[in-house]
Amino acid sequence: MTDTVKETSNSGTGVACRTASMTAKVAGFFSIVFLGLLVANFIGTSVIGLRRENQLTEMKIQLQAEGGSEEKLAEIRELDVQIRHDRLWRLAFARKSSFALLGSVVLFVIAGKLASVLGQQPPRPQHAPDVGAEQIGEARRSRWGVTAGMVVLAATMGAGIYFGGPPDFAQAKETGPSYASMEEKREQWHRFRGPGGGGISVFANIPMQWDGETGQGILWKTPVPLLGHNSPVVWKERIFLSGATEAKREVYCFDATSGKLLWTGDVPTTPAVAEAEMDVMEDTGYSASTLATDGRRVYAIFVTGDIAAFDFNGRRLWHKNLGIPDSAYGYASSLETYQDRVIIQYDQGDGTEGKSRLYALDGRSGQVVWQTPREEVPNSWTSPIIVDVEGKPQLITVTDPWTLGYNPEDGKEIWRAESVTGDVAPSPIYAGGLIMAVEPYSQMVAVRPTGQGDVTETHIAWRMEEGAPDICCPVGNDKYVYLLDGSGLLLCCDVTNGEIVYEHDLRDNFMASPSIAAGKLFLLSEEGVMYIAEVGPEYKEVGKCELGERCHASPAFVDGRIYIRGTEHLYCIGQATSEAAK
Amino acid sequence: MADRSDDVTRRRLLRDGLWGACLAGVGGVVGFAAQKGRKTDLLWQIDPYKCIACGNCATHCVLEDSAVKCMHVHAICGYCRICFGFFDPEPFELTEGAENQICPTGAIERKFVEDPYYEYNIDESLCNGCGKCVKTCNAFGNGSLFLQVQHDRCVNCNQCAIAAACPSQAFQRVPADNPYLLKSVDHA
Amino acid sequence: MLHVREIFVVLVAMLALSVVASGLERFPPPEFETDYVRPTTTVPHPRQDVWEYIDAGVLLAALGLAAYLVLRRRSRNATFVLMVFSLAYFGFFRKGCVCSIGAIQNIALTAFDPSYAVPITVVIFFALPLVFTLFFGRVFCGAVCPLGAIQDAVLIHPVKVPRWLENGLRSIAYLYLGAGVLLAATGCMFIICRYDPFVGFFRLGANWNLLVLGGCLLLIGLFVGRPYCRFLCPYGVILRQFSRLSRWRVSITPTECIQCRLCEDACPFGAIRKPTEKWPASEYKVAKRRLTCLLVLLPILVGAGGWAGHELRPWLAQAHPQVRLAQRIYLEENDPAAGTTDASDAFRATGRPNAELYAEAAQIRGRFAIGGALLGGFIGLVIGGKLLSLSVKRRRTDYEADPASCVACGRCYAYCPKEHERLTQKKTTAVAHG
Repeated sequence: MTDTVKETSNSGTGVACRTASMTAKVAGFFSIVFLGLLVANFIGTSVIGLRRENQLTEMKIQLQAEGGSEEKLAEIRELDVQIRHDRLWRLAFARKSSFALLGSVVLFVIAGKLASVLGQQPPRPQHAPDVGAEQIGEARRSRWGVTAGMVVLAATMGAGIYFGGPPDFAQAKETGPSYASMEEKREQWHRFRGPGGGGISVFANIPMQWDGETGQGILWKTPVPLLGHNSPVVWKERIFLSGATEAKREVYCFDATSGKLLWTGDVPTTPAVAEAEMDVMEDTGYSASTLATDGRRVYAIFVTGDIAAFDFNGRRLWHKNLGIPDSAYGYASSLETYQDRVIIQYDQGDGTEGKSRLYALDGRSGQVVWQTPREEVPNSWTSPIIVDVEGKPQLITVTDPWTLGYNPEDGKEIWRAESVTGDVAPSPIYAGGLIMAVEPYSQMVAVRPTGQGDVTETHIAWRMEEGAPDICCPVGNDKYVYLLDGSGLLLCCDVTNGEIVYEHDLRDNFMASPSIAAGKLFLLSEEGVMYIAEVGPEYKEVGKCELGERCHASPAFVDGRIYIRGTEHLYCIGQATSEAAK
Repeated sequence: MADRSDDVTRRRLLRDGLWGACLAGVGGVVGFAAQKGRKTDLLWQIDPYKCIACGNCATHCVLEDSAVKCMHVHAICGYCRICFGFFDPEPFELTEGAENQICPTGAIERKFVEDPYYEYNIDESLCNGCGKCVKTCNAFGNGSLFLQVQHDRCVNCNQCAIAAACPSQAFQRVPADNPYLLKSVDHA
Repeated sequence: MLHVREIFVVLVAMLALSVVASGLERFPPPEFETDYVRPTTTVPHPRQDVWEYIDAGVLLAALGLAAYLVLRRRSRNATFVLMVFSLAYFGFFRKGCVCSIGAIQNIALTAFDPSYAVPITVVIFFALPLVFTLFFGRVFCGAVCPLGAIQDAVLIHPVKVPRWLENGLRSIAYLYLGAGVLLAATGCMFIICRYDPFVGFFRLGANWNLLVLGGCLLLIGLFVGRPYCRFLCPYGVILRQFSRLSRWRVSITPTECIQCRLCEDACPFGAIRKPTEKWPASEYKVAKRRLTCLLVLLPILVGAGGWAGHELRPWLAQAHPQVRLAQRIYLEENDPAAGTTDASDAFRATGRPNAELYAEAAQIRGRFAIGGALLGGFIGLVIGGKLLSLSVKRRRTDYEADPASCVACGRCYAYCPKEHERLTQKKTTAVAHG
């Protein structure tokens, strides 16, 4: 081809060169047009498509909120069809345009190359300059060029070294264990009725005088957004509660000193729950179960079977649904924590379907660490407790008809005793070396937790069959155990043999479970009146404080403070600064 | 003069030596790589048990129509009437209207089998790989829907753009003679 | 709402035996009463294995043909046709992947990751062009590499790049090679593939940024010959060194150079070197001093580079997704205001303790401490070496194609009168015989 170029460089190629050049220009123009089309298509997909999708989402939300008519549904469906059709059309268009673009670019390139080859001039070297000087000069300029590049690179690297990197996770070496120890838990109120579920506080500086009307003795009170019968859970400077309606489930965190609502965590549910339209007893409500914390995370479960974990800053770590519980009065068992796990007593059904289970979920991820099926156990409303038996932790549950002791490490059953029957709601306690199980309206059974296997014949210490409460849990120390029933009858029994020491009718209604703190008995009535009495062989009232609001939840006792949840507010009873240094 | 020719032979020797070293180097690299013994090509797959259905598969694939599509293993499926992968979490009604479906492209087909079971199938030509159905099926259902790279569409880039963007690092290379990682019933 | 109650009953019945575990079946497998059979999962099959070997075969044939056409037949036109074929086959048909340039990373990964074994065809793609370069020069670049082909194809009006700019910009390729090898060897990512500018055109689709990058390079390539090859290609770095040692190479003249100067501006890629002149005596003194200084400077540059690379390991380590994840988790643990990302949520859902993640990330950072030092030292070496080579006096008597820069395209042959002599001779002998 080059020979022909040399020979015909002046005559015919003028025309050929011009044609090629013109073709190149035309092809170039078309390439730009196709490129423009592709760009427009791309913008269309991202901008218009996005706008339409947002519109569709809004319309769907509107549909949920306001209900639908035939026109609205038709509108939504039409928009959806438009979006889908658009997407497929745009894909096809993009494909076709890119082929067209390729074609025109190829044509442009061929024509351009032809034009440049045909229009090539023979080389005309200029008068040779001082080649030596030129080469030296070139080398010198190149060296400077490379040096300049090196300086730029060095400056960049220097800046990088000087400004250091992002925060170094290597500093996070000693973060400590991922859960609070049993000792730490003893000084907080980390679950329903405090550590061990016994309603007993280790602190002696508990306030005993306050008045709801004047506000005397009350540090703060904060409204709780949604109703729930669960009791406050306290960890150092934070108080946790949950509240729920049929549509929403929320977890609240309050600041212990100011009472401010620090954060609200939302717990989502499943479509199955939304469809099921659960009917729940008003006395139980949608969030009857009290929360639990392991010192790093707080866990909450609701009547729908939704459970969630939050860190103390309000970040939801995980959430699950364990399946809608088949519970006659609504699921109300509270949670317990063991090390970095959350323990759930999930009793449901009538005892013949084998639906009941005991779960331990990993606190950080929500994965099931172990689960133990509980055959023959029907629905119950008691909560599990973890107590120290002969130096080893044991997980105790009470249902109809078994009281069971498990190893919380692996969920394996250690012992069982046939004890109480019926709809069991009061949770067990551990007092005087005995597990107390209560059968509503009937009896209290004391079991020694030191056995193995079926210990019905051997380890039941005594039964007190003079009647028992239907809701409130018992409270006791190593001398006495107290039972409070819903209509106000207080029974004091001897812990060693179950014999009744005294009976006293308070003539008030009670839903909150009794507690013992600073050597006194604290009994919170439904009207919000706290009866404070001596712990002893006879009833001696030492105080009566009115809150001025109805109360269903049990109070929490920590260093120098009492936290009471009324039906509308959370109250903090105490002084601004606690006496013991924290 | 003799100096110059000595110089030249020295240079030639140096050059030849370097040449031999380079050739040996290439041979060494080939030998080392070959002794690992991979004969078949490596393809990209998603580990369906690591995938969190974040939606990056639909947007990051270099192809306009993503090579990642939703797959359905019927052996795991519960054939539920309320399929959590089919219906929106809060459906207006349990009909197949667009407002009730979670799939934005309508790629899931619902067929009645017998009461109360329904069969669900994916139309790959409509699926865009967004993973919305996978997320809800894993969270509330049996987890029989999962996203997977389709080898008839995947161009098998040396560096998969989706793999680089995957938040749970679920992408891995698998040998071409066992090219699919599917969910199975026995997985624990 | 009759059907709702239905659903509730059905749900409760189905939840009866539900097992709650991570991802396991919540709803038991249905027992069908009719004779319904569950469909089995069908999967589309990947490309046949044999195609990989065919590609390797085509590569071998193309390389051999290229060497023959450029060195023996000395035909620019035939080389051009072969180049177009390579563009069509390796570029648009095979979509530009796997290519020899990217294969560097696969080799780097297999060297440092015991769990990764590179497929044998990728090794062939890496090694064959290197072997051919050792024998014949950069014939791979001229007629076989699809990236080079696409740039060569769009070159319409070549413009000369000043030598100092060329030398400066070429250093970027060394940096790219070092970074590419480091990031591949530590298992971060294949950046050469990720930033491959032309693969978007071969696939007829890519993300916006890549297309813009490729488009810009092609637009530049209309005027500046082969910008990627000359200034960016990491494989080219290796090919340059090998080509310097090649047994046979492109010679502008088929016989001898008559110093006619007609080929001075023939090469659009600036690869033709003029014969050298003697320097004035003063220049030699200055040059000797400069050379000594640079020789002393070289180890300092290597050391400084190595130190800097080592110190930069927190930045370099960020390239690895595990390190980024560890940093994110650390940030979230310590800053209550920070939200979570998909990646941190996914990590927490696995239940692995943070300490394990931190340990893994620290180990990766350790790898970057060494790798960064090596990269830094390599860059120091490259800069020092470049400065040295620019200070050495070359001795050339003829017009030559620089063995490192010449991409064996054969354009310069047409400019040489001796070549024309040879062609005329061939024609007359052909006429005489036939």
